[in-house]
Amino acid sequence: MPDAGSVSGTGMRVRLPGLAALSGSGSLLAGIVLALLVLFLCFLVPLAWRADPYALNPLSPLSHPSRAFPLGTDELGRDNLARVMDAGRATLLVALPAAAVTFLAGLLYGLASGLGPRLLDAAMMRLLDAVLALPGLVVLIFFAAILRLSTPSLILLLGLISWPPLARLVRNETRAVRDRDFVQAAYQMGGGFFHVVTTHLLRVMAPVLAVNFTFLVGEMILLLSALSFLGLGVQPPQTSWGGLLEGALQLVALDPWWLVLPPGLLIFASLLSASLIGQGLLARQGRA
Amino acid sequence: MLRVVRARLGSAGLSLLILTLLAFVMSHLTPGGPAYSILGPAARPDTVAAINHEFGLDLPIWRQYLRWLWQLAHGRLGSSYLSNQPVGAMLLSYEANTILLQLVALTASLAIAFGLGLLHGVFHARRLGRLIGTVELGLFALPSFFVGTLLILWVSMGLGWLPAGGLEDLRLQHQTPGSILSHLALPAATITLFTVPALSRYLAQSVHEELGRDYVRSAAARGASPGRILFRHVLRNALRPVVTLLGLSLPTIFAGGIVTETVFSYPGLGWLLWQSAIGQDYPVLIGIVLVIGVLTVLGNLLADLVNGLLDPRTSYA
Repeated sequence: MPDAGSVSGTGMRVRLPGLAALSGSGSLLAGIVLALLVLFLCFLVPLAWRADPYALNPLSPLSHPSRAFPLGTDELGRDNLARVMDAGRATLLVALPAAAVTFLAGLLYGLASGLGPRLLDAAMMRLLDAVLALPGLVVLIFFAAILRLSTPSLILLLGLISWPPLARLVRNETRAVRDRDFVQAAYQMGGGFFHVVTTHLLRVMAPVLAVNFTFLVGEMILLLSALSFLGLGVQPPQTSWGGLLEGALQLVALDPWWLVLPPGLLIFASLLSASLIGQGLLARQGRA
Repeated sequence: MLRVVRARLGSAGLSLLILTLLAFVMSHLTPGGPAYSILGPAARPDTVAAINHEFGLDLPIWRQYLRWLWQLAHGRLGSSYLSNQPVGAMLLSYEANTILLQLVALTASLAIAFGLGLLHGVFHARRLGRLIGTVELGLFALPSFFVGTLLILWVSMGLGWLPAGGLEDLRLQHQTPGSILSHLALPAATITLFTVPALSRYLAQSVHEELGRDYVRSAAARGASPGRILFRHVLRNALRPVVTLLGLSLPTIFAGGIVTETVFSYPGLGWLLWQSAIGQDYPVLIGIVLVIGVLTVLGNLLADLVNGLLDPRTSYA
């Protein structure tokens, strides 16, 4: 069954199938530039623009962008630029570790299944089917509603939702490689198990893994933003891009375009960047 | 084929059983619970105890779970903590709204993706193909909650053209088709923008691959016109992966865009899921997860079976 570009049944997708629009290096370059811009805004601009994202200015609620407030203020008069940057740090500092957790979980599960005895492999793949039977976002909402998550448990939960596709990929790659001559030769020459796995198996898989990690980062940013938009992700008073958008939607009758566009465009830029980098890597590996 | 069906259903049944069990245990280990959702945080302990008794929440977890399974075997999913309505009936009425919305969105998506994908596939190396590819890439990175908020901000509030949410016009005694369609327009557009790029890319990839095959060359050598080759020969084969994709998106059709429905307060299954999650309405929550899980499995199965019909080589013996 093809990976239909759909990570979970509810339409959280990061990976666009098929023909790429840009050349590999162009796509990669554009993606990296975009990622650097987002990171620059979230982590370096705050060093120069030191407004407090939580300070109230009751005298200037919902003011349009101006010299004093480059992105305007929200309904409590809080500086929107400072809030967008703060929200960006919160979003990325949850999404990136979550992507790492997902990546590790998928990698270890796939390796164990691929290298283990036949019976273990069958059992693990059966379990994987069981996990895949449910759309990720639904499960995520379900658990987030029951548990009311703190940041570390949010990272863990996000990380434990999306690993199955990667695990299956790693397992299949491992199965394909493990009986090849160069792996057997490495064993014959006295290479230990961990040596063979790390220097031979993983090195062969590295390009595939890099692509998948890139897509995972995008997926995590999207999932977290959607969850926060629904009020179940990053909890107040801490903001996130999804949370800012949800707040702006509440005020939509007052036409607060300066509250809607910045967080929305930043999520867009992050997802586009992940998509571009992933496709660029794929194209460079000649598999686009 | 029967064996595959049985194995699939078995593993899906197992996963749903595990998930509901887990949900039961977790929902009863957490502080708060439905009594506090109903009464608020300042509830008196004896009122809480009375409510817990009424819903059977004072029983041991394993007995509650067995009771729930027993009821499920009789086709009952319990009743909502918040509205006290039976969960089964609630699911049906919200489901009908979701299917209506998704069918409208799907029709629009298929029409647009068909044209776009065909053009992209045929002209993929030219400027037109690259342009379409770039548009797809951009659409693909737009989250539906951002698109939905923008549509409300600009079309609904700014231009005042279409209603921003709900399904019914409360000023009308009887809903007219026009009023319902106007409520469907923005959420359907949001879902369409979200679905088109993947569908269209998929078709494009598939058309591109098929155009390179030998039968295309021999058809051309026999003097078949490009239009005939494209529509009579290529399209028939190229549509197969698209059917798979549609089968895989069946659960989305039934479960609805959770986020989109929430943005537009559209009374569908996704919105109900969100409402029950926020209100910790566990019977409804577990019921929805169960339904979506079953539909996901059936959708995947259906996609495989239809593919088997379209291409006997992939069918399960």
